[in-house]
Amino acid sequence: MRDAFSNALVTAARTDPRVVLLTGDHGYALFDDLRRECPDKYLNCGVAEQNMVGVAAGLAKAGFLPIVYGLSAFVPVRVLEQIKMDVCYEQLPVVFAGDGAGVVYSSLGTSHQSTEDVAALRAVPEMTILSPADAAEMTACMAVALAGDGPVYLRMGKADLGVVHSAPPVLVRGRPLLVKPGNGPLALMATGSMVGTAMSVSSRWPGTAVYSVPYLKPIDEVAVADICRRHRAVVTLEEHSVYGGLGGAVAEIAAAHAPTWVGRVGIDDRFSKYCGSYSYLTREHRIDADSVVAKIAAFLDRARLTATLAAA
Amino acid sequence: MPAFDPAALRRTVLRMAYSGQTVHIGCAFSIIELVAVLYRSHMRLGSGPDDPTRDYLVLSKGHGVMAQYAALHELGWLTDQDIDGYFRDGTRLKGLSDAHVPGLEVSSGSLGHGLSVGVGLALAAHRRGTNQQVYAIVGDGEANEGSIWEAILFAAQFRLSNLTVIIDANGFQAMGTTREVMDLGRIADKLASFGLVIEEVDGHDEAALGAALTRLRAHPSDAPRGLVAHTVKGHGVSFTAGDNRWHYTRLTADTFARGMAELSAPAGGPTHA
Repeated sequence: MRDAFSNALVTAARTDPRVVLLTGDHGYALFDDLRRECPDKYLNCGVAEQNMVGVAAGLAKAGFLPIVYGLSAFVPVRVLEQIKMDVCYEQLPVVFAGDGAGVVYSSLGTSHQSTEDVAALRAVPEMTILSPADAAEMTACMAVALAGDGPVYLRMGKADLGVVHSAPPVLVRGRPLLVKPGNGPLALMATGSMVGTAMSVSSRWPGTAVYSVPYLKPIDEVAVADICRRHRAVVTLEEHSVYGGLGGAVAEIAAAHAPTWVGRVGIDDRFSKYCGSYSYLTREHRIDADSVVAKIAAFLDRARLTATLAAA
Repeated sequence: MPAFDPAALRRTVLRMAYSGQTVHIGCAFSIIELVAVLYRSHMRLGSGPDDPTRDYLVLSKGHGVMAQYAALHELGWLTDQDIDGYFRDGTRLKGLSDAHVPGLEVSSGSLGHGLSVGVGLALAAHRRGTNQQVYAIVGDGEANEGSIWEAILFAAQFRLSNLTVIIDANGFQAMGTTREVMDLGRIADKLASFGLVIEEVDGHDEAALGAALTRLRAHPSDAPRGLVAHTVKGHGVSFTAGDNRWHYTRLTADTFARGMAELSAPAGGPTHA
């Protein structure tokens, strides 16, 4: 997925004179191609994220299309106010690429983990939030981001948990992508790294539909309400807090337009306790496949849908 | 070209502050001469606020925005209704710098933002070779913000000689003197140590300001420029000068009339107290 990001970036840098990459002294090896092909398009802004975002805003005001790269723990969270005031308030075309979203930096601890970034940004007007699940979605998301229509946050989970799409999907603004059709009582809606998990656990409940949700904001309320109406229950999956992310968005839409059971699988309201590998951290937070199966089963029990699903 | 007479600009500030019953008069008064000199004789304004080739005046210390409104009013970029309808429901001019107003470059108020945006504008001009100048006015209180120093580091690293960082050194911040709250020490030395070409002047002496800006512009260095303007918060009216209560105090009919009377006196009178 990072290759897809780099390829799209280098192509844009070669062909679009507005494109410039800003990094806060991050991105080891990721920008080797860019630096080789377009060295003048690479700006290392030093370990100074607040200024970097302000500089990006100034460049965008003057007609550039800046891509601000950082770890998602720092961009957007550390610079939320700069994003709000300097970029979003003026609807400037600045792309924020937040790498290592979720618990990717498992062994580095809480400072480098990012499970609140989507919640923080969803409440900022004008911001588009994209969360690709694999390389194909990344390519499609980069095309949206580099169109230069306004502020975009590109949430990059480093862990590719399998390929979801065989070809770049066609993104329609705000619309979830159906990646596994099903007319059963249950639909799974997942984003980013959790789409692969959703695909792998979905076979436990025959007829389950799976959607990938690269567009976290805006999110097409009609499309989501329609999914809610076509299934007895919807479970959301994300490598992000259960507060304010995909689960929050779907629950808000369901509550307002199509009341249905909505189960939210994600990071519960706590920090990581221990050090360990990425796969260890997903187990600690119970977002690994086995834990997700157990969580969905418990949710279906609570919703008194277990029998319905067994009969499906 | 408008005269940008400091007394007239201050009268416009008082009109706004009185009709809007707003504060931050002292913050605006300390930068009046700076704003006057910049707009009168140092900035290329092109065909108007939307001209992409004009120079930029970035008011990072957004609390002084009434000074810039007064200058934009002289330019005809703002109307009498804008000035006299200040803070009426549904109007466009806010109490802090807001980039949605044509001619204002940044949305400030949250301090430590504007200079970085100015650095980005300067970088854009630098890369395109347009020779556009960016003048960014930063408060000495605002210089508490770490992002100001991030921006200065960056400007020096990227050799942004078209950027002039102007410190409005009025010695006050919201709750007291800068020395009491967060002492900057020798601000000119600090800027120089970051690699900026420095001038230091009386920020109410228009001739000195103009000469310093001219020297900075002509300097052969490729480093960014720094201008430390020593000012008096509330300068220009006897009872607001040096009294930090005018960061927060609203005008009454009496203080408005007294201030306007002082500012209407002939040059050499109390205006330059």
